[in-house]
Amino acid sequence: MITLEGDKLHFRFPEVHADATCTIEFQRTLRIPDDGKAYPLPPGLGSFPLRHLDDFAPRVPARWSERGGVIMPMHQAEAMWLNFGHGGWGAEDGYPFAVKIAAGKINAVTGEAWANHLNRDPQDYVVLPKQPWLDGYCVAKGFIRQFVAMPLGEGYSAEEQLTGAGEHGGVQLVVYPMKAERWREILRQREAARRRPLGMFSGAPRYSASTEPMAPAAMDMSLAPGGRMKQEIYDDDYGLDAWDLRHASRCFVTIANSLAWLAIAGERPPTLPPSAADYAKAGLPWFDYYGGDAKALDGAAKLAALKSVAKLGQEKGASPLPENEPVTGERVIELGKRATKPVREMPALATKPLSSPS
Amino acid sequence: MTHFGEYVRTCRERLRAADPRFSVRQVAARIDVEPAYLSKVERGEVAPPSEATTVKLAAELGEDPDMLLALAGKVSSDLQEIIKKRPRLFADLIRALKAAPDKAVLRLVREVRDGNW
Repeated sequence: MITLEGDKLHFRFPEVHADATCTIEFQRTLRIPDDGKAYPLPPGLGSFPLRHLDDFAPRVPARWSERGGVIMPMHQAEAMWLNFGHGGWGAEDGYPFAVKIAAGKINAVTGEAWANHLNRDPQDYVVLPKQPWLDGYCVAKGFIRQFVAMPLGEGYSAEEQLTGAGEHGGVQLVVYPMKAERWREILRQREAARRRPLGMFSGAPRYSASTEPMAPAAMDMSLAPGGRMKQEIYDDDYGLDAWDLRHASRCFVTIANSLAWLAIAGERPPTLPPSAADYAKAGLPWFDYYGGDAKALDGAAKLAALKSVAKLGQEKGASPLPENEPVTGERVIELGKRATKPVREMPALATKPLSSPS
Repeated sequence: MTHFGEYVRTCRERLRAADPRFSVRQVAARIDVEPAYLSKVERGEVAPPSEATTVKLAAELGEDPDMLLALAGKVSSDLQEIIKKRPRLFADLIRALKAAPDKAVLRLVREVRDGNW
């Protein structure tokens, strides 16, 4: 079952195991320059608001209501990343899950069309808790292209580039828990290791909503490939047999253009994040994550062949990305595997606002 | 009281086995208390800390704050506010669910609906 708690999706599988709980939230972030350079990980700037789509049924298109799930606002050309978490366990200890992520029903790891089931060859999912975050499309081993929101219908999204049609938009998720017997075996092994001598155990003001129907197609957003970033997508070292394929929960996350959010939800969308250049100038940190000896997946050829938003804009004679100047001299903090999940956020977020474009 | 302290110590020691940043001294510094105080809390020699400190401790240890507060014999302020608004209803509801299995309780929570896509 999936519940929405505090802008976070909670996936629980009590019928599989009491420990089988994980969370997914969507983090606001800087849009890294789309200039060919590979940037480190930008910070999290707080989560996007997430709401039950059903709450706004009279004000959204019928095709949005039909797919259910949740809805969130994004500004045009705004970036985001997915933050994976789990209840009550450290980063290394959590119940494992296989999670498929797509945007516009294009798999973010393989570039293939959406399918509910898991594929191992090539692996089309990420494994939690080993994978702490996902920032974009897996275009090469160790590199992704950042998720950047663009209006569906303008041709920038991965969906439109690969299928020639802008039909779905949004983000799609399906979560599979590990089989309970496999988890119990992991717990037994951990307990045995813990009991061994020498401490060898290594184991994170409200606004009134309009009553008018709000349905223009331009309000539907999809995710397009933006700037290049260093991030590894890790291999599944448990194997397909570890996952409980009889139990899965899936969710469609509709992305509404922030211009429509007030009319749909009766609340203002979050402000735009600062530009990458302003952030870097302020000397605030970027991040690198090392997953230890975890093996990284190769990039997907289909995704590698996508044109980035800036490149496609150039070909169209348009400038879809404001403030796309290169950034240099980033201050990078290295994050590694720890007993609790490393925190990837701007320090003193609430007390040191940066000027943001409006 | 003892249960809370034992639980905190077990969690912290488990984390410390993999990461030395989870010593009493370093955890205490990160949650803004004296190491001696945290040590006494773990040994059950003093009452569990305030709600704010317990929530910080939960975040530090990767534990659920409501669960840690319950072990400390407390209910978070936001839950108290919810109950105060409809005390009779929530008291009846909680008593009625006392013996229900987790799965039955979770069914009361609003699920995100999956549609046709």
